[in-house]
Amino acid sequence: MNAKGNIKLVFSFLLALLIQVFLLRDMGIGGMAFLFIYTYVVIKAPLDINKSLLVILAFFAGWLVDWFYDTHGLHAFALVLIAFFRSFILNVLTPANGYDDRSKINLKEMTWLWYLPYVGSMLLIHHSVLFFLEASDWSLFGLSLLKIFFSTLLGLVVFVLLELFAKD
Amino acid sequence: MNQLLQFLVRQRGFILFVILELFSLWAIFTYNDYQHTIYFNTNNSIAANILGKIESVKTYHQLLDVNEELSKENARLHNELLQLKNSKVSGGDLPYYASREVANQFQMTAAKIIVQSTQGSQNYLTIDKGTSDGMHPGMAVVSSKGIVGKIISCSEHLSLVISVLNTINSVSAKIKKNGELGFIKWGGWQPEVVDMMDVSKYKKVAKGDTIVTSDFNSVFPPNVPIGVVAKLGLKEDGNFHDIKVLLFTKFNTLRYVYVIKNKLIGQQIKLEESIPKSE
Repeated sequence: MNAKGNIKLVFSFLLALLIQVFLLRDMGIGGMAFLFIYTYVVIKAPLDINKSLLVILAFFAGWLVDWFYDTHGLHAFALVLIAFFRSFILNVLTPANGYDDRSKINLKEMTWLWYLPYVGSMLLIHHSVLFFLEASDWSLFGLSLLKIFFSTLLGLVVFVLLELFAKD
Repeated sequence: MNQLLQFLVRQRGFILFVILELFSLWAIFTYNDYQHTIYFNTNNSIAANILGKIESVKTYHQLLDVNEELSKENARLHNELLQLKNSKVSGGDLPYYASREVANQFQMTAAKIIVQSTQGSQNYLTIDKGTSDGMHPGMAVVSSKGIVGKIISCSEHLSLVISVLNTINSVSAKIKKNGELGFIKWGGWQPEVVDMMDVSKYKKVAKGDTIVTSDFNSVFPPNVPIGVVAKLGLKEDGNFHDIKVLLFTKFNTLRYVYVIKNKLIGQQIKLEESIPKSE
């Protein structure tokens, strides 16, 4: 990963966070599907990133979102969780010819069969934790399940679209 | 000792993970209403500022709607004033005179919403009036159309309001037509609809009935509009009506609210506390 690529990455992370807190904060489709684009920070982090660094990064990104959502720790918890379990998911989903030093997480290099399960499982874990903690009430169990399902679906669509329109 | 250190260094990612997760969990579960307001006012003033600016831009784009709403409200108030003047002349069934204190029991203050959510399961609003404007926890918050919620904590210049769109908030309500009592509670989604509970199936309810706050309510004044019955069914246990109420207040476009101060609430609470309790 070169310096130029790194700067680009940092900017896209910041952009994802800004879009999250300013545009997506009060948006939801039918009160069911919510887009949490800030998971981009963890999902698209470079493969060779230091694990501790990623966990810390996730915590601060999550805490920033918590600030604006007025939720206090909720998003930080969910994001740190997927940041930590990312390496396990990456191990399970190792592509046929393995990862090499220059591998990047994108649709072109990793193919559909890798990219969809990867993003899907990351979003599913994140949304499950987020919605169940947020509801904090078992009577809302079914509703939370629906929210998780539709939000994950929406997230998958958006992440695939982002890949299709990405330049490099 | 050396081995222990090596182990710690090797597992630093995991240890860091556990510490951060525990910290987040602690933050989530120790976060009560009081901290909510304090956090919002000190640590979070930057976020509040920015969100407030964005809110003011949104308000600007909605000036037309806001104006229209205000003029409608003006008209309604004029009407009410006229009715009131008339009723004073014609008189009621019984010679009832309210003392001046009781007649002026409720006082309204307008406030602007700084931050609000409608998409969570527990929704709150933050308004720009605090203790320095005479706000207290427990005061009712209404919009020009219907109920909004109740103040749960105040700082000097801001107050936190628990919205009706909150699964842990319920409000005593009645059917305007025949006075049947019940309470309303939000089901956790759709910011337009709440459920009315505890209305026995033997009571008469029809689609289109207006629901208002009941008289037995220490927060809201009686007869504040809530919504209309939109859907009618029977609860699973077969004993109660399953009533879906379409709220009058449109939370998605809400920008200004009124806080109602009940000047006699202290006396009312004191009196109600003096009821002898059976042991």
